[in-house]
Amino acid sequence: MTAATATATATTTITAETMTSQVGRLYSVALALFVFFLTWVVIGARPWVASSSESDPRIAALEKREQRVRHQSVVVQRLMKRRWATYRSQLRRRQSQIAAANQAQLAAAQAPPVRVVSLPPVTSTRTS
Amino acid sequence: MMESRRFKAMGTEIELFVDAVGADEALAAAEREFHRLEAILTRFRPESELSRLNEARSLEVGPDLLEVVRLALEARGRTDGRFDPTVHDAVVGAGYDRTFEELPEEGTAVIVGWVCGGSVRIDGSRIELGADVRLDLGGIGKGYAAERAAELLSAAGPALVNAGGDIAVHGGSWPVGVETSEGELTLELTGGGLATSGRDRRRWSRGGEELHHLIDPATGAPSPSDLLQLTVVAPGAVEAEVWAKALYIAGEDEAVREADMRGMPCVLVTADGRTRLAGGIS
Repeated sequence: MTAATATATATTTITAETMTSQVGRLYSVALALFVFFLTWVVIGARPWVASSSESDPRIAALEKREQRVRHQSVVVQRLMKRRWATYRSQLRRRQSQIAAANQAQLAAAQAPPVRVVSLPPVTSTRTS
Repeated sequence: MMESRRFKAMGTEIELFVDAVGADEALAAAEREFHRLEAILTRFRPESELSRLNEARSLEVGPDLLEVVRLALEARGRTDGRFDPTVHDAVVGAGYDRTFEELPEEGTAVIVGWVCGGSVRIDGSRIELGADVRLDLGGIGKGYAAERAAELLSAAGPALVNAGGDIAVHGGSWPVGVETSEGELTLELTGGGLATSGRDRRRWSRGGEELHHLIDPATGAPSPSDLLQLTVVAPGAVEAEVWAKALYIAGEDEAVREADMRGMPCVLVTADGRTRLAGGIS
């Protein structure tokens, strides 16, 4: 091996080592980025929230309250139906009373009987 | 034996009849009542209670004006506004701005079509008129006076009061003439009242246009009804006066339909010269 050949071989080895080191760094950076985004996604998903809500007493209280309100609304609806039915029957009774009163008033306000006669008039009407 | 008295009041001829002997006192009381009510209800005297109300817009009034305004407002509701006491400005605007005796037959053109139907509020014995509202109680006032006078006369015996065509009967049986296109028809009245509305009288001309006193509150102008005259028999003279006006304004077909529906005897004379009976008259 001549001195020149030996020098060329050494240069090639150094270049190959440098390239290997750069590719490795590139892979490291890509892996770090992947891990970073994965962590971000996992943290963003907040998987601990669901598990903690199940045991949150405020949520449990709210659910109880919702059930109570639902039950109360059913009771109120039933009550309203009953009252509405009562109101309608009273309304019908009142309407028939009013109709009867109107009939009576109409009968009382009837014009006196009048007929055409052939007697000489005592007086005459005209445009007033 | 029948006693009677004739005099002028409320811009018309008044006739009092009572089937009794020695009824002078009752006749005098009935006449006084007419003059008393005229002094309250006329729109032609500035010192009358009605004129003072129209001027002041809000006034504590006496029982008679209060009662007539109440009756008029009730009538406005019952007739769907066809009878309306707030036609004062429309009547005056059409030229009827003084007593009919003083009214010239001809004159320059006037503006017709005034707004009617404004607010009138009764609060205890106070009457409050809305903006630009003035009352004319001419027709209903005569009916009211006829009823009051008939009541006073009835103390002496069966009575009939004729206030220029508005008739109130209190007891007895009275033949009353109604002019029609086919001659005079005689109706026998045993109670209640009778009134006639029409444009065969109380008419005048302004700027060549024929006008009359029956204002349609919907237009504020003299009604262009296809009737010439309409006579109504009702439970009282006020009621008869109200319906005579309302049915006249409604026109022939609607008047016949409504009179039949209400069982309100009517004699209608149409503008084209026909006479129709309605409302169960026989």
